[in-house]
Amino acid sequence: MADARAKAGFLQVRAVDAAADDAALRRLALWATRYTPTASQWTEENGADGFFLDIEGAAHLFGGEERLLADLSSRLEKNFGLPARLAVADTPGAAWALARFHPAPLKILPSGREAEALAPLPIEALRLTPETCTTLRRLGFKSVGALLEQPRAPFAARFSAKLLRRLDQALGHLDEPLVPIVPPPVYHSLRYLLEPIVTQEAVVALSSRLMGTLAHVLTRDGVGARTLKLSLYRVDGEVKTLDIALTLPTRNAVHVARMIELKLDAAAATDDAGFGFEAIGLAVTRAEPMPARQTELASTGDGDRTECCAALIDALRQRLGPASLRRLEPVESHIPERAEVPVPITSETLAGPAPERKTEQTRPLLLLPHAEPTEVTALVPDGPPRRFCWRGVTYEVTGAQGPERIGAEWWRMPPPYPPPLAGEGGGPTRDYYLVEDSGGRRFWLFREGLYGRETAAARWFVHGLFA
Amino acid sequence: MTQPMTQSMPQPMPQPAPASALAVARNRAALMEELRRLLPGMADSRKTLPFGLAALDSCLPEGGLPCGALHEVVPAPYGIPAAFGFIAAILGRISSPPPPGPRLRAPEWGRVFLVLPAYGFREYGRLHGHGLKNLGLDPARLVLVETAHRRDTLWAIEEALRSGAPAAIAAMIDKLDLKTSQRLHLAATDCGLPLFLLRPAQNLESSAAATRWRVGTAEAARDRFGLVARPRWHLQLERARNGRPGEWVVEYDHVAHRFSLAAALADPARARGANEKNEKADRNAHCA
Repeated sequence: MADARAKAGFLQVRAVDAAADDAALRRLALWATRYTPTASQWTEENGADGFFLDIEGAAHLFGGEERLLADLSSRLEKNFGLPARLAVADTPGAAWALARFHPAPLKILPSGREAEALAPLPIEALRLTPETCTTLRRLGFKSVGALLEQPRAPFAARFSAKLLRRLDQALGHLDEPLVPIVPPPVYHSLRYLLEPIVTQEAVVALSSRLMGTLAHVLTRDGVGARTLKLSLYRVDGEVKTLDIALTLPTRNAVHVARMIELKLDAAAATDDAGFGFEAIGLAVTRAEPMPARQTELASTGDGDRTECCAALIDALRQRLGPASLRRLEPVESHIPERAEVPVPITSETLAGPAPERKTEQTRPLLLLPHAEPTEVTALVPDGPPRRFCWRGVTYEVTGAQGPERIGAEWWRMPPPYPPPLAGEGGGPTRDYYLVEDSGGRRFWLFREGLYGRETAAARWFVHGLFA
Repeated sequence: MTQPMTQSMPQPMPQPAPASALAVARNRAALMEELRRLLPGMADSRKTLPFGLAALDSCLPEGGLPCGALHEVVPAPYGIPAAFGFIAAILGRISSPPPPGPRLRAPEWGRVFLVLPAYGFREYGRLHGHGLKNLGLDPARLVLVETAHRRDTLWAIEEALRSGAPAAIAAMIDKLDLKTSQRLHLAATDCGLPLFLLRPAQNLESSAAATRWRVGTAEAARDRFGLVARPRWHLQLERARNGRPGEWVVEYDHVAHRFSLAAALADPARARGANEKNEKADRNAHCA
């Protein structure tokens, strides 16, 4: 390096940062999804310095493959300052080889002429390991053409299966699946803008129009959107994506636009619009069947109510976060604090039948998060409380109801089953009392441990408050 | 007396009203009646939620809690569970499906939204679904909305009101200025939905609420075995727009979703007699 520095004084030295390179390439590939939803970043064995774009069915949107390539190349040059080598071919392997080794920076290979085009290229164009390439060169195979002329059997015997697989993949005899960086959407709508837009209102208006175009396709297939992805392509190549999850499948452009507006509010995504967004894409990433409903006749109003509720829940969720809307679901357990769990609301919990609640016992309206220890005076050690002190206040008990005995759930504990003594291992048995004080306040107290059998000095706790 | 007045309504006022105070009042009543008939929106907001108790309903305008309005529920000292229970009982009456008994004229049975800030309320624990069911509110019909700031709480309440989707909305809020309460009350009036606000604050600001209840604890009604049969609350109607204040001890039967006046007797034996009498009277009323 000292020699190199001596020769060129302007030389700058940086350590290789593979992770940063990878992230930058990913960003670039994301940007390229403005051309086609399927962009696949090159892995280590592809050289990790480029990406595949599956432009089948997308090229005509840009006026053909030549125009697309020219556009891509000029944008890469202009936006990122990257001189790119681009090639279009029927197979990823052939495109890779042409991009790497063809003299022209832009190359479009007509269909079915892979063998012809690959023949003059060096053997490295097949994406082989360096050792295989060295061995082949030592054997005299310098170009792909030389390899193609030979019978396959000796190669299969001497080299790893990868050599022939790569050859077949390049020629299109074998499929090479691409792993897209974002899962391809089911329905996708994209709009390019002559003038970049900056304001949130414009983004919302445009996405509403995009949803309008998608709605026709969704109606045709009898489905509605459950999750959507909004991609904002900034002029300088940055891509912002917003995920919008809905409670019930919908095709309503107004509703979707409102959700996007709320989401933009919450995410402040348009705050750093830079010089504006040049393209906006809206993709339905999850579609669900949405059966046609009869309206008008004998309408009970309940279906509409559910839909209204779903719309409201969506709106609240966009701003407050996905876990902020919940419903209390019962759990099969006798332990009060375990008998219930709040679960986020989904379409199933909204439209489906409510789970059955079995317990008909007296339960408090408010359950303390942790049972709080309390000082209790009782006439007999295993009798109801007469007076207790909780949070610094002494309450005179005028009426106590109980006990309701709740034992530990031995079936959740390690064997042997059943344990020889009740309450062994899983915490002592609890005796619950509903007590009322002279002021009419009602509490739920329990005594931990069976007196004399499990413990000598029972402890008392306040666990809940009754209305 | 009022007949000629109402007939002449569509035309401009023909002559100045007679000068006597009684006539002025009558004219005004007739005018209001006509206005209500003409404004369909007002007919909606006039929907009420009666308690089914003559003593309470007679203190309220139109014989019940106005449907499209803001109602404040203030707990007496140590009364947060009781205040919450009172709200849960009303929500249970609103959200229960109509068939199993004579119910109040609810707008439509449906879901109720409960907006709870994550910051308050923690010392009292969390809502227990089985306990809600003991008060007649099916937890499956309840959507809990958790908010992190007061701004979010207000936004969520208003969003829920404007959507018109739930059957009722309840929320807990610590501070509420007059302007915000007016805003919420207007939103509730526009959509014809009742909004119940639990206000644990000690010194309350003035607000635009249609009613303000102060709910305290009271000794529960017990059955003949001495077990707690029905919760009782000490209700004070502190403020009621176009109504009268009052004070009662009521008890609530969650199976029938029914409020009744507690027999104010300490002696269990006499209380039992009174209860039985009450039940008999209820049964008779039911049969009739």
